[in-house]
Amino acid sequence: MNPLRIIVADDEDLARSLVREYLKENLDVQIVAECKNGFEAVKAVTELKPDLVLLDIQMPRLDGFEVLDLIGRETNVIFITAYDQYAIRAFEVHAVDYLLKPFSSERLTEAVDRAKKKIARGEPTAPAILSTEARPPGSRPDRILIRDGGDVHVIPMTKIDYVEAQDDYVCYRAEGKRFLKQQTLADVETSLDPSRFVRIHRSYVLNVDRLAKLELYAKDSHSAILRDGTRLPVSRSGYARLNAVIG
Amino acid sequence: MHPILESRQRLVFYLTAWLPIGVILTVILERGLSSWLEAILVAVPLTVVYAFMCLSAWYVCLAVPMRNPSLLRLLVTLFVASALSSLAWFTLGEVWVLGVEPWLELPGLSERYTAQFMPMFANGVMLYLLAAAAHYLLIILAESRTTEKRALELQVLAREAELKALRAQIDPHFLFNSLNSISALTIVDPQGARSMCILLADFLRTSLVLGARQQIPLADELRLVENFLNIEKIRYGQRLSVVRNVDPGCNTCLIPPLLIQPLVENAIRHGIAPLVEGGTLRMDLHRTGAAMEIILENPVDATRVNTQHGAGVGLENVRSRLARLFANQSAVTISSDNDTFRVRLRFPCVESGESA
Repeated sequence: MNPLRIIVADDEDLARSLVREYLKENLDVQIVAECKNGFEAVKAVTELKPDLVLLDIQMPRLDGFEVLDLIGRETNVIFITAYDQYAIRAFEVHAVDYLLKPFSSERLTEAVDRAKKKIARGEPTAPAILSTEARPPGSRPDRILIRDGGDVHVIPMTKIDYVEAQDDYVCYRAEGKRFLKQQTLADVETSLDPSRFVRIHRSYVLNVDRLAKLELYAKDSHSAILRDGTRLPVSRSGYARLNAVIG
Repeated sequence: MHPILESRQRLVFYLTAWLPIGVILTVILERGLSSWLEAILVAVPLTVVYAFMCLSAWYVCLAVPMRNPSLLRLLVTLFVASALSSLAWFTLGEVWVLGVEPWLELPGLSERYTAQFMPMFANGVMLYLLAAAAHYLLIILAESRTTEKRALELQVLAREAELKALRAQIDPHFLFNSLNSISALTIVDPQGARSMCILLADFLRTSLVLGARQQIPLADELRLVENFLNIEKIRYGQRLSVVRNVDPGCNTCLIPPLLIQPLVENAIRHGIAPLVEGGTLRMDLHRTGAAMEIILENPVDATRVNTQHGAGVGLENVRSRLARLFANQSAVTISSDNDTFRVRLRFPCVESGESA
């Protein structure tokens, strides 16, 4: 049987060297890459397609959950953390394996063996919903992450003009550029700040800061004119929602 | 609820105290009445009745508390109450003897009893005053017990608050990550593991010792900060560098303990740790005359909008602790531009021996 191909992602050199030492004797696993931050982890996962990622939650650039969101469900993960109450509660609820620093070599081997069985059965090790539940309640992400091959685009929320639904994708418009992400517009709506982003139409979510004026288009529908001149359709219910936000 | 009636044990004790009074009353009455039998017949029921009548002294005591500013009012109230009770008591005795006189065929008992008015009245007044004194004593005892209990509760609360503050100061992330570093060092650098254990132990011990004090010289706090930075340097390696600019005149100024260390911790955790290449923490401590100024500056990740919002609670804590010590002479200000975060503390320098 081929050894399990593993990526270790942790920003501390000492923490990575510990995992390396623990796994040195284990012939069933092979560390194919070590990453010092979230960007490196996403890139390495894309290029090397490992079987398992040992993912530290606190990392520069992207934290562990952001990495999980970006690599989707194609890769299995075991989370590592020193202390993170909300995350641990979410792990317990979803039976996701995690390691608490400092951990023993036996505990790591156990977790890897369990992951191996899950992979053999074709089960994902972490559900997609985990990343929202593992954060403190009420905290909204302040940026959108979009994967483009092995690279990651970071778009601050304030830079987004509007989001448009396109088949299985959504298209974020920001600073004159378009970014595609595999997501539903309903998910986009719940992830954004409702006091700033409004679903104005079946296919559009608008940043109200960009709105220049509203024009009556036909009997029951309006058009939103943005500061840059873009014209977007506004449905009747969208018009009501928009009025509720901008007053 | 009446303090004597509320417990059976107390009531039994109280009534027992009336036993000798009953005997004395019998002896007194025997002189005026014709026989021991008559004396017992009158004294025993009257003693029992008066024992209960005297319980009413409690309400008089409540109405005129011992700490009443007017002693005259207290004495007048007590004497009026005791005279009235005594009179009522004597009258009850009169009714009693009139009832038993024909029934037990003791002719002349009522006349003989009426002749005993003076000793009976005097006794009644005295006993009532005694009962009032006993009730006052009970009230004072209960009060002192409550004050003692409250003082104890306050002490426990203060101690708990102290411990909670300390627990909040020592960040679990820091503790567990440091232990993880030690765990890794045991394999790659056993000697390094040993020295990190010692650094961590020193840090925890010093935090406990300093944290238990009200104020400490700034030099002590700076030693704790250095200790902390030495541990973090092992964790972050090249990614963490520190530039210090400390005016030696600051060393003797008094500050609340663990004021600067948590700020340094925040600067590393929220500022430098999220940066791939790390960064430099700047500490500037200046003193101009009696004015102290501390500035902490750290780089932040410009792509994250509210990187350091987690620091809010910690800064609020710093602000309130400085304000408690220096009232409105202290100020905590935060400023941040795209990629730096700056905390500035200003407060008067008070050295030990002076008072704030």
